Amino acid sequence: MRRPTLTALVVIVGLLLIADLLVVNSALGQLAGIVVDAAILVAAGAALAGVGALGARRIADLWRRRGDPVAATFVLVGIGVMLVAGLRPGSSGTGDPAVQWLIAALLVPIGASLFGLLFVTTLGAARRSLAMRSREATLLVAAAFVTTILLVPLSGEVGAWLSGVAGWSLAVPIGAVFRGLLIGIGLLTAVYAARTLLGMGAADD
Amino acid sequence: MIERAWRLAPLILLVALAVAWQLPQAAWLSLAAPDPAVAGRMTATLDALGEEPRVLVGFDPDLGTYAETRPTVRALLAELLARDARLGFVSLTAEGRALASAELARFERAEADPSRLLDLGFIPGAEAGLVDLTRGIRVAGGEAGAFASEVIAGGIGAFNAVLVIGGNDLGPRSWIEQVAPRIGEVPFVAVTPTVLLPEVQPYVESGALRAVLGTPRDGAAYRESLDLDSLDRIAEPMEPRPFPILIGMLIAVAVLGQALGARALDGLRAARAREAA
Repeated sequence: MRRPTLTALVVIVGLLLIADLLVVNSALGQLAGIVVDAAILVAAGAALAGVGALGARRIADLWRRRGDPVAATFVLVGIGVMLVAGLRPGSSGTGDPAVQWLIAALLVPIGASLFGLLFVTTLGAARRSLAMRSREATLLVAAAFVTTILLVPLSGEVGAWLSGVAGWSLAVPIGAVFRGLLIGIGLLTAVYAARTLLGMGAADD
Repeated sequence: MIERAWRLAPLILLVALAVAWQLPQAAWLSLAAPDPAVAGRMTATLDALGEEPRVLVGFDPDLGTYAETRPTVRALLAELLARDARLGFVSLTAEGRALASAELARFERAEADPSRLLDLGFIPGAEAGLVDLTRGIRVAGGEAGAFASEVIAGGIGAFNAVLVIGGNDLGPRSWIEQVAPRIGEVPFVAVTPTVLLPEVQPYVESGALRAVLGTPRDGAAYRESLDLDSLDRIAEPMEPRPFPILIGMLIAVAVLGQALGARALDGLRAARAREAA
């Protein structure tokens, strides 16, 4: 089903922002500013709604005794502690020492530890994917194997050679694939945007 | 037997890393890139900024990759302060704001000159937030001093350079696309995790980004080139140790190599079985 109002809105906002970038005009700038402010408010609202939804979901999990009660409790305690530290009377918000301690002493180390665990879990996943005997998985793991060898931090001539090959592989084959993907995503985004602007839906294909 | 050993692997890894952490530095191991050209480009860009530059720091690393860039980020910020730069920190992602908050608290503990630091807080909206930043910068009520006054008066135009600390959610690409066309000839430099390098490299080649420290090796080469004197306390207290990194990489190579070898043997056996049939 077509939505002419939404399409018109997208066209107007898009043209307004492009015009503001190209033309120096105070009124146009103020109008574009209102649109940008609205986008920021929507993003902030979405972020708050996301946190609210997460909290509500975990409360419902505990209430209905489903899922992992320990994890749900930790999530709720975490949200609560951070809110109390940042919003209690006399707190200076994110600059408050209590908030900074929670971040520096708990959030950052816990986050780093979780990502550190990826070392073990990724190796396990690589082994399991090879056990499935898929060609793609074999290629992926072989590429990871070679890349890891290239990144071994040796000094001297061997280290220089490894570093040179690693730099080349990053700039040429990996860079080419990565940029190819980005260009593909960009083209698809442009096509989708054009279809939205023109009010074209699946029914028009 | 192999599966049992695999279950013990995390414990073996922890013990191996703990032992490796205690080993002394070896001359045959080096984290730094043999070619210091990338590090030199960053130094040359900072040299060209002049005296007491005002640098806008877009601080948006993520928790996953910050461990990779953290030593370089801290060394670069210490180097900027050693050059009498004034730094305004702004974040556009929640994780970036959390990490910026932790780093600002660390500056305070290291007794960095507070008149050279300005917390510009968090702006939601990612790209929209970047556009908003070019229209004016709001300074929190608690911030005072000459630096804050200059930023209130001049907005983003008060800054002589932009340093982007990138992460998975927001990196130099967004800054170059949204901010650079709106503010004219202000040099952009960046520190990013390796995963962002393929998308950032074209901007370096085109000159839109003057310098990028985008790999651990380039970061280590840059850190080696610095002489921070008294501001050494602001940089990482200890350089990443190469032995634990080497042990981890060798374990990864061994595990992946064993799995690939087993897969190759399976393939060979299957091919022979087909021939025999």
